Amino acid sequence: MKEWYQKIQSAGCMQELEELRIAILGKKGVLAEQFAKMKDIENKQKAEFAKRLNIAKSEFNKLFNEQKTILQARELESLLKSQQIDVSLYSATSNSGALHPVMQTMEKIVEYFTSMNFSIEMGSMIEDDFHNFEALNLPKYHPARDMQDTFYFKDEMLLRTHTSPVQVRTMLHAKPPIRMISPGAVFRRDYDITHTPMFHQVEGLLVDKEGTVSFANLKFILEDFLKYMFGEVDVRFRPSFFPFTEPSTEVDISCVFCKGEGCRVCSHTGWLEVLGCGIVDENVFKAVGYKDVSGYAFGLGVERFAMLIHHIGDLRSLFEGDIRLLGQFV
Amino acid sequence: MIITRSWLSEYINLDDISNEQLCETLNSIGLEVGRVVRYDIPEDIVFGYVKECKKHPNADKLNICQVDVADEVLQIVCGASNVRKGLHVAVALEGAVMPGGMRISAVKLRGVESHGMICSASELSLVNINDGIIEFDQSIGNIVLGTRLRDNHYLQDTLIEIELTANRGDCLSIYGVARDLCVAFDRSIKSKSNKNTDETSIGIGKVLQLKHPASVDANLKFKVLDIKNISLAFLISLRLAQIEYKSLNTADAFTAYTTHECGVILRLYDYEYFKAQGQNDKAIVSLESDTNGFLCVQGKGRASIVGVMQEKDSLFNKNEGLAIAEASYVAPGLISDQMSKSKIERSSSFYLSSRGSNPDLKMGLKLLFLLLQSYGDIDIFGGTAEVLNHKEEKVVVLKLHEIYDIIGAKIDKKKIVNILQKLDFNLEKSQGDTFIAAVPKFRHDISNKQDIVEEILRFTGIDNIEPKPYLLKEANRLSEGYFRFKKLKHYRHKAAYNGFFETIHFIFAHKQELVKYNFDTVQNKLDIVNPIVTTMDTLRTTLMLGLLNFAGQNKKVGNQNMGLFEIGSVFTDKREEVVKAAFLYTGSFEQEGIINSATSTIMDFGHFVQLISNIIGEVTLSKATCKHSLGHPYQCADILQDNRVIGSAFRLHPTVQDNFDLQDTYMCEINFEALSYETVHVKAYSKYQSSFRDLSLLVPKTMEYATIKKIIQQSKPGEIIRFYPVDKYEDKSLKNLSSLTIRFVLQSDEKTLQDEEIVSCMDTITSSLKDKLGLELR
Ligand SMILES: [Zn+2]
Repeated sequence: MKEWYQKIQSAGCMQELEELRIAILGKKGVLAEQFAKMKDIENKQKAEFAKRLNIAKSEFNKLFNEQKTILQARELESLLKSQQIDVSLYSATSNSGALHPVMQTMEKIVEYFTSMNFSIEMGSMIEDDFHNFEALNLPKYHPARDMQDTFYFKDEMLLRTHTSPVQVRTMLHAKPPIRMISPGAVFRRDYDITHTPMFHQVEGLLVDKEGTVSFANLKFILEDFLKYMFGEVDVRFRPSFFPFTEPSTEVDISCVFCKGEGCRVCSHTGWLEVLGCGIVDENVFKAVGYKDVSGYAFGLGVERFAMLIHHIGDLRSLFEGDIRLLGQFV
Repeated sequence: MIITRSWLSEYINLDDISNEQLCETLNSIGLEVGRVVRYDIPEDIVFGYVKECKKHPNADKLNICQVDVADEVLQIVCGASNVRKGLHVAVALEGAVMPGGMRISAVKLRGVESHGMICSASELSLVNINDGIIEFDQSIGNIVLGTRLRDNHYLQDTLIEIELTANRGDCLSIYGVARDLCVAFDRSIKSKSNKNTDETSIGIGKVLQLKHPASVDANLKFKVLDIKNISLAFLISLRLAQIEYKSLNTADAFTAYTTHECGVILRLYDYEYFKAQGQNDKAIVSLESDTNGFLCVQGKGRASIVGVMQEKDSLFNKNEGLAIAEASYVAPGLISDQMSKSKIERSSSFYLSSRGSNPDLKMGLKLLFLLLQSYGDIDIFGGTAEVLNHKEEKVVVLKLHEIYDIIGAKIDKKKIVNILQKLDFNLEKSQGDTFIAAVPKFRHDISNKQDIVEEILRFTGIDNIEPKPYLLKEANRLSEGYFRFKKLKHYRHKAAYNGFFETIHFIFAHKQELVKYNFDTVQNKLDIVNPIVTTMDTLRTTLMLGLLNFAGQNKKVGNQNMGLFEIGSVFTDKREEVVKAAFLYTGSFEQEGIINSATSTIMDFGHFVQLISNIIGEVTLSKATCKHSLGHPYQCADILQDNRVIGSAFRLHPTVQDNFDLQDTYMCEINFEALSYETVHVKAYSKYQSSFRDLSLLVPKTMEYATIKKIIQQSKPGEIIRFYPVDKYEDKSLKNLSSLTIRFVLQSDEKTLQDEEIVSCMDTITSSLKDKLGLELR
């Protein structure tokens, strides 16, 4: 019997094991042969013989099951092994498209102001002189109009040069308090390395009762906003001039490239101009029929923000639909 | 506006102020520094005097000079054409290192020893004043031979260009900038006008008569002077070169210099220009308005337009003789308004007058005469001929708390008073906490409370204002614009996830290209007047040409497979703005690689529509013909949602494809407003199992699926909840028929359908297809 035990334990595959099972436990197997001998054995020894055979039988069964488990595990392992692949072949690049950095930046900006309880207002790109200029304290002869070369249509309409007409229209239709931003495309007749005839702005406006909105409020929100957009930067306010605000200031951040040390991007000043803002001029309120109010306004160019955030060197590349640029935003 | 440190120093003491401090302060008070140039003259460049100057025996163009530099007399060979005996010059001594790095050493030039070099302005990196070597004179102070040039502050100077905003005409002069700096540094302005200019006993009335209408919208002062001799001093040439002014003649140089210094518009006329021939000896100056409404000074002809230009013929163009000096002022609003109505040529004095020149005419004339006296010899006739248009002075009343409210911080009242007084506001009538401020005439930009608060803020320093959050009342500000923005974001993100790159194209288009591809164009009478380039001479009426051009550009740089999209405004022929979404896919929609064994699949109509549907939701297509000529005539469809046409999809016409050098390309444009962005309302759905059955039909090749679909829709029992084509097969044995397999999904709300019920449903379909269209099962 012992040699059978060894044979079972050294069976190399399920088929061999099955053959052994038949050879031992089958109808013509070794055990059947032994049981057949029973009839020739005397009764006295019969019980003893039967007992021994039954023990052997259960021992065989046990060995079979053990070996079966081992063999099954081994076969699964070899099956799995045969399914092995070279995973390093499958390093993948994304097959999806991407959002435009300018629009992504616009979203980021809009998210900040909606979370600060500003409403979003939109308007049309074609405007008239009143809403784009006159209501904003920019009469026809004003020298500041030189700053904004305008596209005109044959019927004296124009392409808005800023999104401020949206603010004028909002004020004409609603009563204060107003707390809004107007994101959108604007147009200036300028086309060179640093100017495109179309770009995007987000402008903001807050109007409330007289004496409630101060320059300090403007400073608070813009400093907070710029830190949200650019991380820990220094913020500097410089007096400037916009016809529709008074006092007016421009806002600089410490250069995000050289951390204020001075580099080519910041013309070695350590500062980057990013925003214009101010206290709304009373003439603007007069033009929309508001009395006894105070307010602030600000405006920024989305392309400039996108370029500074993503280190994009060429403004015009944003309007070329080039996959070499866009593909990096997947 | 260009200023120099030495020029500024004539009005403000800057001895203790570094250049960095100066620039920082200019920026902080709103005079933005755009450019800084430091003139740094090397060591070992000294003043010298040419004692002798002889022609070089062996070279025509060279001179041998004996140059006195105090310690010694140097022999220097000089090639400049203007070198001559008696000049004060800049001498680079042996050992001097020039700005370019060249080292000066003793050399022999054509056999003659030369110990040093006589320098030109450009060799010293100064602004270029003249051809040849510099000719110094006493205008830069007493010249001490042998002393270093770099110790002279007129030469070792700093130039700062300020980018002035349009409202700050008052800072368009050295004096104006100095006045602002005096407030910032809290010091007093130096005055030159207390110096005397003697006048002769002959009154102006004897030599000049001024004729003018009863009221004139300008201020003018005239004086007559007898010029014995004037010449251009080195300092005037130097500074006019620094401010990039090219003078017409000596008199023009003097007036331009003075105008830049004080901001008053000045002119020097030839007296003879105003003398009528054969009449008495008096010059007659008359003021008349021309047809455009501009005020003109008339002599023999027009001498000048006040605030705009001077005729060359009327310029004082000599070094001696009688001249008429004029100082003028016109209100900036008035002059800009006139200019906007009649397009006459602009000039440098218009730039100044339209932004606000200095109305202190007396000061302007005085400074001009002081300058003329310094560098020439003049007699001034007594008295002035003038017209003055007295405007009431502007007065602004504001209370201390209003200042606090606007700024949002408290500022010491004494400080406010000091700032305003230094800026020449008259506060004499103020009472308690109420300021009654008379605005100085030169501040055209100030007319209300906020303007004055800006002045206070400017000099208080914005950095010193503590930021404060605004306290808001809660309000729902989720406006219509918010939802528009959200919807835009929703679809843009879905497009990107589905393999399309977002692009932004200018809203302009090339009219010729729109016409070429049969797109609408904006009506001529509504089109752009002043396009910036011809390729952007109209508004776009489609997004598709932009996408197509982008795809073509990408192909040129080697990218041939891509999806592009844009959601943006286009315009109808009536120029109404509509928002559209356009998509383009060209080439294969996956990269070749391991996963597809190097054979990527080229985009086809079905896959393209599938992608679009992933983005905008379920769509139905129906056969259509493109209005434009971009489309393939047999692969073009209207896109429908809820039975409404919302756009079209097509394969790019092979000819156009070739024009842009593209592979198979599919495009679609959709009316963005028609896309839904609404809350989903869930419909009830069956709890019972659904089953499906496929039906293979023999269909004539010419028959569209749309026809079959219509019949099925009309006759289908309620248990068929969905059906769609799954296979279309053709081979020779089928001849002019094709085999179309349609899958039917069946489900009941009440129970699991039994086989016989399903069969009965399918029988209904089969028989109606047979009855109505004669279709047989395969
Ligand atoms: Zn930098």
